Amino acid sequence: MSRYKKHPASYRDPSGFVFEQDGIYYRQVNKLYAANYDQLVKSGLYDLLVKEKKMLSHTEVEENLTGEENWYRTLLPEQLHFISYPYEWCFSQWKDAALLTLELLQTALEHDMILKDATPFNIQFVHGVPVLIDSLSFEKYDETKPWIAYHQFTECFIAPLLLASHQSAGLLSMFQLYPDGIPLRLVAGMLPFKSLLNIQVWLHIRLPNMLPPDAGSKQKKSPAFSRQKMKHLISNLFSFVRSLSLPPVRTQWNNYYDETILSEAYLDAKKKIVEGWLQELPGRTVLDIGTNTGLFAEVAASAGKYTIAVDADTACIDKLYNRCRKQKINNLTALCSDIVNPAPAIGWQNEERAAFLERARPDIILALALVHHLVIGRNISLQQLVSFFNAHTTDFLIIEFVPLSDEKAQQLALQRDFRDRAYSEDIFEKFFSDCFAIEEKTVVPFSGRILYRMKKTGIPL
Amino acid sequence: MLFYLLYIDPGSGSYLVQAIIAAILGVTFYFKTIWLKIKLFFGGRKKDNQPGKREEHEQV
Repeated sequence: MSRYKKHPASYRDPSGFVFEQDGIYYRQVNKLYAANYDQLVKSGLYDLLVKEKKMLSHTEVEENLTGEENWYRTLLPEQLHFISYPYEWCFSQWKDAALLTLELLQTALEHDMILKDATPFNIQFVHGVPVLIDSLSFEKYDETKPWIAYHQFTECFIAPLLLASHQSAGLLSMFQLYPDGIPLRLVAGMLPFKSLLNIQVWLHIRLPNMLPPDAGSKQKKSPAFSRQKMKHLISNLFSFVRSLSLPPVRTQWNNYYDETILSEAYLDAKKKIVEGWLQELPGRTVLDIGTNTGLFAEVAASAGKYTIAVDADTACIDKLYNRCRKQKINNLTALCSDIVNPAPAIGWQNEERAAFLERARPDIILALALVHHLVIGRNISLQQLVSFFNAHTTDFLIIEFVPLSDEKAQQLALQRDFRDRAYSEDIFEKFFSDCFAIEEKTVVPFSGRILYRMKKTGIPL
Repeated sequence: MLFYLLYIDPGSGSYLVQAIIAAILGVTFYFKTIWLKIKLFFGGRKKDNQPGKREEHEQV
């Protein structure tokens, strides 16, 4: 039979699975899910959600590609360029994903179906907006039953959002430790005193903790539910999620451009150079490392490249994500990632969720005003940098060298007692020429900084 | 079929929690509806100018 490979994370739901064949991803619907799948299509739910850009579209392939006996349908979904994971999202991305999940549930009910799972792993940001990618998430609605995925929704969406809004947006990455949901007991313990005044927190976080662990299981019949009750619950969850917001914080970075000594003239000049180079270069994907609020990521996106923009500062990514949504920039994905500690591979056999750098695979890396932070601020050597860029760009690198005489570099060097270390334009060029050919080099006007356009020569370090 | 039903752990007591929450929300909704009717009765003509009216419906 044909050679196919099941996606390593697609083993939980017996309704079907995702597999890859000849570089294309498909989804098999199993016989077990046949009735639900038919209802999804016949009720018009699928068409409506695709039309509203809330669900990934697919076409049916009339062939049993896996040859499995319990095959019912083969779906060819719209292929995704890049997959991000919830522990890389900023607060607004989490919130939008949570609201989308509730909207899906609400729309499903109108079609006599219900969302049977509510994990953020089922949501991806496609063309700038969150969409459901798991076509097998719906099942027939039984009015007498409550929402089967309610507990999952509170642990997977409410919990991280609540922790972020009451403590710190940095806690969103806690989801990496608890990919099946952050236990409510843990959440309750981490919330500040003032959350005791929040009725929603009592209902959805503290109440489940107050019930004995085996509550409900002793009763032979589960408590009766109704459509009206479900509507109340959904409407309540909507207002809970909408009420959550981040406390305003002034981070080190999110006003970087506003208050920086770097002049607007410098930024404009740099923008023009980078824009010109990006338009000349072939390659589809750009990774902008240390994007800050995404000034140059936007330049890459408007040059027609699919751009992944990362920064360790979640407030910056939040700003960028919201700006992209507002301006309808649909080829830019902003993510929270500290490039010194990017998301690792996790899950069963470390294969379920790939490491960030495995997923990104850019054709062009943008490393603007970054080198001095890594070398001086984080003790990464120039050799390490060369080997990093060599390993992770397919073809090109646009990199800015910030000399020690630069005011920003000086500030960093003073904090770190950075002396007698090999860091100069000559040494920089010498190390990079091991793996890269310098195609262009120019001093950015109004600064002593130097921009390089390099092509990978393919020699491993 | 049993396996299918158990693929997601609804969470121990999650059904009971939802039943309790729904009951509380139901009662709140009931009283809010009455309150709204009273307000409409006394200020019916001003109903377009009542700023909180829509929110009350949404925040049930």
